[in-house]
Amino acid sequence: MDHIIEITGLTKDYGDARGVFGVDLAIKPGEVFGLVGINGSGKTTTIRHLMGFLRPNAGHCSIRGMDCWRHAAELKRGIGYIPGEVAFPDVKTGLDFFRLQAGYLGIRDLARVHELMDRFSLDASAPLKRMSKGMKQKTAIVAAFMADAPILLLDEGTTGLDPLMQKAFTDLVREEKAKGRTVFMSSHMFDELEAVCDRVAFLKEGHVIEVADVSQFSGNEPVKEYKIEFTGPADYQTFLSRSATVSRRQENLNQVTVQTADQDITALFTALSDLEVRFITQVPKTLARHFIEKYQETEGQSHV
Amino acid sequence: MFSIALMKQTIRENISLWLVLTVVQCAMIATIGLTAPIAAAGVAYYNLLPGIFMGIYAIAIGNKLVSAKIDRGTLAYVLSTPVSRRAVVATQALFFAGSLTLMCALTTAVHSVAAMLSSYGADTAEVLIIVRLNLGLLTLALAFSGICFAASCVFNLSKHTIAIGGGLICAFLLAPIIAMFGDNFAFLHNLTIVTLYDVTDIMASAAGWVWRLVALAGIALATYVAGAIVFTRKDLPL
Repeated sequence: MDHIIEITGLTKDYGDARGVFGVDLAIKPGEVFGLVGINGSGKTTTIRHLMGFLRPNAGHCSIRGMDCWRHAAELKRGIGYIPGEVAFPDVKTGLDFFRLQAGYLGIRDLARVHELMDRFSLDASAPLKRMSKGMKQKTAIVAAFMADAPILLLDEGTTGLDPLMQKAFTDLVREEKAKGRTVFMSSHMFDELEAVCDRVAFLKEGHVIEVADVSQFSGNEPVKEYKIEFTGPADYQTFLSRSATVSRRQENLNQVTVQTADQDITALFTALSDLEVRFITQVPKTLARHFIEKYQETEGQSHV
Repeated sequence: MFSIALMKQTIRENISLWLVLTVVQCAMIATIGLTAPIAAAGVAYYNLLPGIFMGIYAIAIGNKLVSAKIDRGTLAYVLSTPVSRRAVVATQALFFAGSLTLMCALTTAVHSVAAMLSSYGADTAEVLIIVRLNLGLLTLALAFSGICFAASCVFNLSKHTIAIGGGLICAFLLAPIIAMFGDNFAFLHNLTIVTLYDVTDIMASAAGWVWRLVALAGIALATYVAGAIVFTRKDLPL
């Protein structure tokens, strides 16, 4: 089996251009796959299809070769899930909730629950109704990971968490990846996805406009961008006459931005060797920048 | 087919209303049973109050069993486990029908025992009538619950479930009362399922009372099944 999660031509039309349209995604076993997009771009709708809550208008999704709609219950044996909107059942405390879920899942040993609670410094003996948003989210995280499921579907897993806990979450996802788990997670925060994902799909108005390989970003891009400032206009002009890859010039600052492939870096230094440089800095291409560019490229295009 | 874990949770969530209604009904029926034979006080009681009690229970619990779980989103946590939709709907239906059956069984027992212990000392024929009246009441309650259950399975919002399911039950309960206002309203008798539970006919063992109860049971079965089918096939906005 090549792909553990397959989404083919998934379409759910809610009218007024809301929904998802012809989404194709294929996730390999052991991969951490991110889904990013602004609010209402179709992230949650996609995950709800994988959970078997929604039936596609067209196309289909499968996990381990089984249709997500028809085999919804069977598939849940191997899926941990954080809902986009967490709503706890009518039980008193967080612990009661974990016990209830353990009952549905057929889990007897709650050691993993306690381990996860420690990790997120969660006091689950507090009444659910009085929990803060962050505590509720932590409770949802523990519930998703308690079964040690091989597949994790995490819809906005870090909503409401403070930066420290966001890091704890990221670390947990990395650990799960090391154990060979497959993770499909959505977020509207690029940093979070960049930190853990192997690949990230960018959704816009229900369409996948790009699937990016995260290893190509933030210092690993094969063609890097450098900003160079010269001490005077003479050197600035000399450099411009030598280099063809200048993508941006700021004459008043004597600054240029160049695109240089890693194998051409020596040529860049040779060109700079007899010039007076005030500074040279690499401008990392982040996922966020990449997607903002893509977003702007597609702006105004229709998706028919 | 059923989920034991869900059944336990459903019982925990709904036991209080069931207890209150059961205790109140048992207390009332015990008082009636102890004081007067069925022919005297029984008719008035069975004609009026239990239907309303069952209606209240059906509307409140019907909404809580399915619709409210979708509306609040808590169903996501049940369906994120290997519990199938079919098991969810079957478990909730079993609780609904089962709790009503138990309620009616208890009131039957209380009424019968009270009647036998009373000063007039009910005989077997009288107890048989009590059992039949409660059996009829049960079929009416099941029909009510089926209607509310179907509404609960169809609608994703509690307000719609209560408006449609609850509205129908209220209309059914009010129709015979309005019909008493005169001949112009007599047609309302034919527009309500409440008249299928005919207390006078049951007491007189008149022809047709069994078939009317079968009709009520048929309504119950059809609405439960229809609700279950809709629930297993529809999109859930969880």
